[in-house]
Amino acid sequence: MRKLDIAIAALVAGTALAASGATLAQERTVKITGFGAKSGVVRVFGINSEAALKAAAEEINKAGGVTLGDGTKAKFVIEFLDDRCNAEEGISVVRRIASTDAFVAVGPTCSNVAESLFGILQKKVGDASDSGLQFPIIADVAAKGGLAKISEWSFRNVPSEFEMYKSLFAWLKTQHPDLKTIYGGVEKDFAHSNATFGVMKAQAEANGLQVVGQSEWLLADTTFSTQIREMKRANPDIVTISAHPFTTCGALKEMERQGVKPKLLIGLTSSSSIETLQGCAKQAEGIIIPTSFAPVTPEAKKASDNVAKFGGSADLHSAAAYEIMFILKEVIEQQKIMAKPDTVQEDRSKMRQGLAALKETDGLLGKVGRTPDREAIKPFLYVHAKDGSWQVLHKPSS
Amino acid sequence: MDFLDLIDTIQSIADGVLFGATYALLGIGFTLIFGVMHKINLSYAAASIGAAYVSLMILFVIKAPAIVVFLMAALAGGAVGGFVYLVGFKFIPLANPLATLMSTVGLLLLIDEIIVHTTAGVPLNYPALFSDVIVPMGPFSLRGDLMFVFILGCVCMVLLLLLLYRTRLGLATRAVSQQPIASELCGISITRVNVLTFVITGIVGGIAGAMTGAAIGMLSPLLSIPLTVKGLIVTVIGGLGNIPGAIIAGLVVGGLENLFQFLRGVSERDLYIMLLLFVFLVFRPGGIFAAPGGRD
Repeated sequence: MRKLDIAIAALVAGTALAASGATLAQERTVKITGFGAKSGVVRVFGINSEAALKAAAEEINKAGGVTLGDGTKAKFVIEFLDDRCNAEEGISVVRRIASTDAFVAVGPTCSNVAESLFGILQKKVGDASDSGLQFPIIADVAAKGGLAKISEWSFRNVPSEFEMYKSLFAWLKTQHPDLKTIYGGVEKDFAHSNATFGVMKAQAEANGLQVVGQSEWLLADTTFSTQIREMKRANPDIVTISAHPFTTCGALKEMERQGVKPKLLIGLTSSSSIETLQGCAKQAEGIIIPTSFAPVTPEAKKASDNVAKFGGSADLHSAAAYEIMFILKEVIEQQKIMAKPDTVQEDRSKMRQGLAALKETDGLLGKVGRTPDREAIKPFLYVHAKDGSWQVLHKPSS
Repeated sequence: MDFLDLIDTIQSIADGVLFGATYALLGIGFTLIFGVMHKINLSYAAASIGAAYVSLMILFVIKAPAIVVFLMAALAGGAVGGFVYLVGFKFIPLANPLATLMSTVGLLLLIDEIIVHTTAGVPLNYPALFSDVIVPMGPFSLRGDLMFVFILGCVCMVLLLLLLYRTRLGLATRAVSQQPIASELCGISITRVNVLTFVITGIVGGIAGAMTGAAIGMLSPLLSIPLTVKGLIVTVIGGLGNIPGAIIAGLVVGGLENLFQFLRGVSERDLYIMLLLFVFLVFRPGGIFAAPGGRD
C-alpha cells in the first residue's frame, strides 16, 4: 500500500512538473530595443527613456503581457543601447538592431540623430528602387519639427512644438495684452533649440509681439555677459529662451546679475525638467513652458512613480517613451504580430502598417491624435516654475 | 558705433578679462607641465573640472561655505593631478611624444565620462563668493564674483612664481626642466619632481575648475572640451613653458573672446580666436614674450 502511495505521489509530481514545463515553454518574451543618448551631456535623457520603457513594460507584464498573433501571451523585455547623441553612432546602433529579429526600435534622443537615421530608411514603402532599411522606428525624444515625414518607416510620439507655442502665444495675448515686445535668447548650435526658436519667434510675431532683438550663444558657453547686455539694452517686455538647462541657467543667472527683469519669461520645452530647477530654481522662478507631461492625471501620477522606481524621471520626453510601450502592445495585438525569428520581415511590415493606421492613441494626459505624416498631436499644458517646482499654470481646452 | 556701443564694448572686454583669469590658471597648468616634462597634458582641463565636481561632495556631508568648497577643489585637484601622472605618464614610454599625448586624450575622455556617469550629465549648482556684489564704476560695473576670481587667480600665479623661483622644489623643477640628465646626476629625483609638478599643477587646476564653476554658477561636463581648447590656445599664445606669458595670454584671450562676441557675434567669435592662434604660431611661435625672430 505504501509503495502504491509513493508511486501515485511520484506520478502526480511528474505530471505537475511536466505541465509546468509546458507552461514555461509557452511563456514567451518580446524584446523591445530602445536607443538614445546614455553617455555625454545628454545622458540623462537616455536614462529617463530607458526607465520609462522598463516601467511601462513592467506595467504591461503585470497585467498579463502582450498577446501575440498565435494567441500566446508574451512578456516585454527591454534592452537599451547608447547612440551617444551622435548621428553615425545612431545609424550603427539601428543597423545592429535591424540585424536581429527585432521588429521595431524606440528612439533616438537627439534630433540630429533622428534626422540622419530616418534618412537611411526606405522613403516610400514598396519602392523597389529604394534599398533603404525597411525597419520601423518610433521616436520618443527627438523633438525637431517634421522629422517623421522623412520616411514612411519613421514615426514619432513627440509633442508638436509648433502647436504648443502657437497656443501659448495666443493665450498670452489674451492674458497679457499690455505686453508688446519680445527678445529671444537662443542656443545656436543645438538643432532642437535653434529650430524651436524659429517657431517661438514666428508665433510671437503672429500674435502681434514686436521682436526687438535676439542674443545667441553656444551649448558649452561659459559667459553670457555680452548677450545679456544686448538684452538689457532692448528692454523687452517678454524674454524667451530657447536653450537647454545648462545655458538657460547661465543666461538666467547673468540676467539676475545685470538686473534684467522682463515682465514674462518663456522657456524651451526641454527645460521644463528637474535639471533646470537643480541648476537655477531661484532665477527660473516664473518661467512659463508648454509641456506634454505633468503628473496631473491618475495615469500620469502612476507613470511618474513607476519611472522613478527604475531610476528615471518622468518628463515630456520620457513620458512619450512610456506611452510608446502601450502603443506597441496595441499594434502587436491588432496586427497579430508573431514575434518569431522566421516572421521578422513580415512582423516589421505589420508593425509599420499598424503604426501608420493609428488615428488615436491613449496618452498620459488624454487622447493623442496621429497625423497622416506619422506625427503625434499630444495634449499639453503650460507649467511655470514656482517655489522650486514645476506647477501647472494653465491647461488649454484643446 | 555710438556712445552706448562704446560703453558696452569696454564693459565686454572688462568682463572677458576678469573671466580670463580662469583661462590663465588653466594655461599655467598646461605650460608648467610642458616646461618640466616637454609633454602636453590634454586631460588637464577635464581633471580641473573633475576636481571641482569632487569638491561638491563635501556639501553632501556638511553645509560648507564656498571657500571650503574651493579649498576642497584645490586638494582634489592635487590628488587628481597625481592620478593623472600615475596613469597617463608614469608607465608610458616618455621618449615617444605621441604615447603620452594619446594617453592624456584617453584620460580626458575617461574623466569626462566618469563625470557624466556620476551626474547623468545634469548641470550642478556651484557656490560662488560675492555673486551678489556689483561694483559700479561710472557707466561701467564689475562683477564681485569675477573680481574675486581674478584676484584669487593673481594670488595663485604669484604663489606659483614664488614656489618656482624661491624654493628648493622650484629650483629642482627648473633644473629638471632645463637639464634632466644633469639634474639626476646632481641627485634630484626626476620622478619626484614630475609627481610634485603634477600635484601642484593639479592644485592650480582644482582652483581653476572651482573658479570656473563659481563664475558660471554651475558645473557641467560640457565644460571640459572648450576649456581644454582655451587652455591650449592660452599656452601657445603665452609661449610653451612660459608662466607669465600664460597669465597675460589668459587675460587677453578672455578679453578678445568677449570683444569678438560683441562685435561679430557667436558664430564668428571662435573663428577670430583661432585665427589669433595661427597668427602666433606663424609670426610669434615662441609666444607673447618671445623675440619675433624665434622661428626655425
